[in-house]
Amino acid sequence: MTPNPDNNFPSIEQTVDLLSDIACELMSSGAHTMRILQNVSRMAESFGYRLDLSVFQLSIMMTITSKDDPTKRLTLNKKTKHLLINYTFVSDLSALSWDTYDKHLNYDEVKLRFHEIISQKRISRWLILILVSFANASFCGLFKGDIYAIGLVFVATLAGFFVRQEMLIRHVNHLVTYTSSAFIAGLIAGMGYVFHWGNTPEIALASCVLYHTPGVPLINSVLDIIEGHILTGIARLVNASSLIVCTAIGLFTAMLLLGLDKL
Amino acid sequence: MTTPEMIQLIVIDGIMAAITAIGFAISSNPSRKAILVSAFLAALGHGFRFFLIKSGMEISISTFIVASCIGLLSLLFARIIHCPAEVFSFPSLLPMIPGLFAYRTILSLIKFMQSTDKIKNQGFIMDFFHNGMTTLFILLALVVGVSLPVLLFPKLSFSVTRRY
Repeated sequence: MTPNPDNNFPSIEQTVDLLSDIACELMSSGAHTMRILQNVSRMAESFGYRLDLSVFQLSIMMTITSKDDPTKRLTLNKKTKHLLINYTFVSDLSALSWDTYDKHLNYDEVKLRFHEIISQKRISRWLILILVSFANASFCGLFKGDIYAIGLVFVATLAGFFVRQEMLIRHVNHLVTYTSSAFIAGLIAGMGYVFHWGNTPEIALASCVLYHTPGVPLINSVLDIIEGHILTGIARLVNASSLIVCTAIGLFTAMLLLGLDKL
Repeated sequence: MTTPEMIQLIVIDGIMAAITAIGFAISSNPSRKAILVSAFLAALGHGFRFFLIKSGMEISISTFIVASCIGLLSLLFARIIHCPAEVFSFPSLLPMIPGLFAYRTILSLIKFMQSTDKIKNQGFIMDFFHNGMTTLFILLALVVGVSLPVLLFPKLSFSVTRRY
């Protein structure tokens, strides 16, 4: 347990604590399994340990073994945080792992840089709200919607995305969040039908919930399955598909409620 | 259609795709450079797909071609700005999500549920499967196409953040 004087070879407890924190942070910011595995093993290698890692949807399990003395080993099971996609963390932590490997950074330095990385602020939620609304409105433009449809989609996304942000802050179940957000967006976009605004009200309805597309879980699941981490891949796929299904249910309910049977 | 008209349409398409990509990229909180790259790739990709579809190619095949091009290009950009490729490869594919087909799938399901006319219901079932299959195949083309480079060049795609 006594740390080395220059701290270049940290104790096994210190290493497993730091590495499991890094792995959890990578998992909750949306890295795929292979990247987590490679980043963390690379860092363990540079500290003089060998690492085995299992990644599940809600927890990670890692065992590290000393290279000099194989009887010295430690296993840790750690709960991951709730998924909040943050690609700045993924790319910075990935760069940190290469730096650790190439420049042989010592333990304290790695720990310091890790805490610097995870204390970075996210982009302001209001900026995200505005930009996502513009993005969804131009989605409507891509589907050849007219100016009324584009305006409706902008307002619908503004309302729906705001509701989603508020509900996620209050830790409402994410399936409920997606359903109700899609429902509200669908109701607002359906107004084009009710009041006969413009010529393409169906395009407004079609593009108003596209901001829900769970792109990152979907692509991560395919990458995981291709690379052989089938179990994690399927867990992510089920997660992404349930979000898509909930979005569809929200839109479906809104459409039934508005009685758009002549669509 | 004359060539200048076609070019104008492709440019407008590209600009709208870029706005879409910026909006969807920013919600995954990437670095500023990555946002710009994804906007550029989205404009390029969607414009290219627009051109392919206009020249008569099937939608899911053209999506697959464009998705794999974007995957390769994003690996190149990843190498330049030292950032994992999936950071900007997905937002730049988002403008190609088959929203309209997905919507029509739900719509035909609702119509099928509400109608009692047997002849009409057969049409709704056909619509449901046609639109549903198109949605599914475009989605598959997108994700498989974009993960192809990671599959082909695993070493390279994991070492893009390395600098020395």
